[in-house]
Amino acid sequence: MRTHPVLMRLLAFAAIVAVVACVFQSLTPTFLTAENLRGLLRHMAINGLASLGLTFVIVVRHVDLSFPGVASLGAMTLGWLISTNAPLLEAVCGAMAVGAAFGLLNGIAVARLKLPDIVTTIATGGLAIGLAYFYSDGTTISQNFMMSGLLDLNDAKVFGIDEPFAILLATAVIAYLVLHTSRAGHAFYATGENPVSARFSGIGVRRTVVLAFIICGVTGCLAIMLLVASAGASDVTAGNQLLMPAFAAVYLGAALFGRPSVPATMAGTLLMSMMLSGFVLLATPYYYSDAIVSTVLIAAILAFDPDLLRAVRHGIPTGRERAV
Amino acid sequence: MSDVAEARPLPPGLATTRSTDRRHPWAIRYGFFLFVMAVFAVLAVMRPTFANAGNIESMLVSAAIAALMFLGLTWIVAAGEIDVSFMSVATLANMVTASMVEHRAGWPAASLAGMTAGLVFGAFNALLVGILRLPALVITIASGALAASIAAAIGSGTSISLGSTGFVGAILEARAGPVPLVAILVVLLYAGAWFVQEKLTLGTYIYAMQQNRAAVIEAGVPVRRLVALLYVLSGIVAAVAGILLAANLSSGQPYLGGSYFLNGLTAVLLGGMALKMGKPNVLGTLAGIVFLVGFLNGTALLGWTDSRSQIVRGLLLLISVGLIVFANDRNRRTRRG
Repeated sequence: MRTHPVLMRLLAFAAIVAVVACVFQSLTPTFLTAENLRGLLRHMAINGLASLGLTFVIVVRHVDLSFPGVASLGAMTLGWLISTNAPLLEAVCGAMAVGAAFGLLNGIAVARLKLPDIVTTIATGGLAIGLAYFYSDGTTISQNFMMSGLLDLNDAKVFGIDEPFAILLATAVIAYLVLHTSRAGHAFYATGENPVSARFSGIGVRRTVVLAFIICGVTGCLAIMLLVASAGASDVTAGNQLLMPAFAAVYLGAALFGRPSVPATMAGTLLMSMMLSGFVLLATPYYYSDAIVSTVLIAAILAFDPDLLRAVRHGIPTGRERAV
Repeated sequence: MSDVAEARPLPPGLATTRSTDRRHPWAIRYGFFLFVMAVFAVLAVMRPTFANAGNIESMLVSAAIAALMFLGLTWIVAAGEIDVSFMSVATLANMVTASMVEHRAGWPAASLAGMTAGLVFGAFNALLVGILRLPALVITIASGALAASIAAAIGSGTSISLGSTGFVGAILEARAGPVPLVAILVVLLYAGAWFVQEKLTLGTYIYAMQQNRAAVIEAGVPVRRLVALLYVLSGIVAAVAGILLAANLSSGQPYLGGSYFLNGLTAVLLGGMALKMGKPNVLGTLAGIVFLVGFLNGTALLGWTDSRSQIVRGLLLLISVGLIVFANDRNRRTRRG
């Protein structure tokens, strides 16, 4: 898999995008209209932000299952702060601080206390959901949303681009610079590849893992801010819908481009959002969206699994497993 | 391949007091059971309704259903894998059964269809994770989302209420003396599972896989098929639990999975601390479930809000994970001498 040049993968990705676009365009002529593409990019902004943070955690070979719960807590924090007349910037910072705090908690638990990441983040996610109920006993918060300017976030434009997508672009550029052009970025990949040799190369492995979890928590709360802005209310279950698309985007991108990276995640998110928006145009009920996302995810993993490709080339392996 | 801690004296520091633990290893092994009894006693004193015959009966039924759902999960976690789709598979079986009953297919056929749904998803996970060795977490997240999505689609996003509960309802109603029959059946099933886990090679392999998969493969054990078997088992028991829930709730609930997710992992990991020092095991899971069901019921009687019990559950899961890592760390150090 790694021998394939990047160009081939880019071409493959462009081909898939073109095929998906053509299929939906033929099924529903409104797919490639400017209006729908704007909606698509706005939708992509929400899932893209959540998956960007997750990319960092996946790069250091860990998993964060807590960000949907943490994002819900962030949404409620944001809503509560706005309903108490706090300025918008303060409210957003409050939500992001919640994300950072839970990221720190996850990071310390996983990196320093060596707890297993999956179960630990499930537990902290459950904790966050429990806390999210405290603000309003589980009811939605929407007081003062009109006045605060939060809702304008959804419609405002920056340099002719919708603000949600502009936020995604800015975050993606920063993430790209951090992960792919800086020493810190190398530290993330080195930690993921081999923590022991990374440590002997002078990389603060624990710090890097903690940082990855913090980034994931913060971007999850950024994503939920956009979701709250478009929905017009904070809900305790708001974050749940982030989980599947974020995982699918990261793994789809990693499958397409050979390893998790910022461009790969963006490509995965774009594909995911195209399909979801296409199916929405086809009037597919909302409860099918997870089915679509998970089918695409499983198909992508199956189609690009190196072991499987090898098996197809050299015949199906026997029941006995190679000792790795 | 028996438990290392059984063979050697316990390392100091596992119990609360250093001086006694060498002589009283049972304090850790059975400490959880004592803790459960203490909590229940406190709840019973604070809210006498907690110990009512009716309340205990309904708790036993819920515990039995949960125990069915988490049986496969216990061994999957013990083998070092993960399954986060079990509650969605149960939900799917629940909705399939409910919708078949609604369309007058009769309970036997409906239950069979529910079982088939569970079997299909179990086999699907088994194929992808067990045979093809794809990453367990992502695959089960995806297959769980798929199952949940289909479950919601069956009822067009809403629940299906049922007029009759058929033979499944009769099983749930049946009593052997004062005890619900289903609870006795589940206890028997767990006794059988305990036998498999402790006395048969299958159980030995499960724990060996968690410790050193490569070594187990080198020993000639068909690891892929073994893991596949565990996932199929998990799908089937989750489906049975889903079918029982359809009768217990007299309805198909497309979103019932959520609460079982955290409970399942908490029961398995909390129970893992009992008896086997940080290794998930069936009796521990059973104790964990009894504790969780009793605790949630008792605190609800005390007037706790959902958010408070959710936070406590999250904390319990965190604590049990921490304890397990701590205990395994100790075990490893003892082994090295």
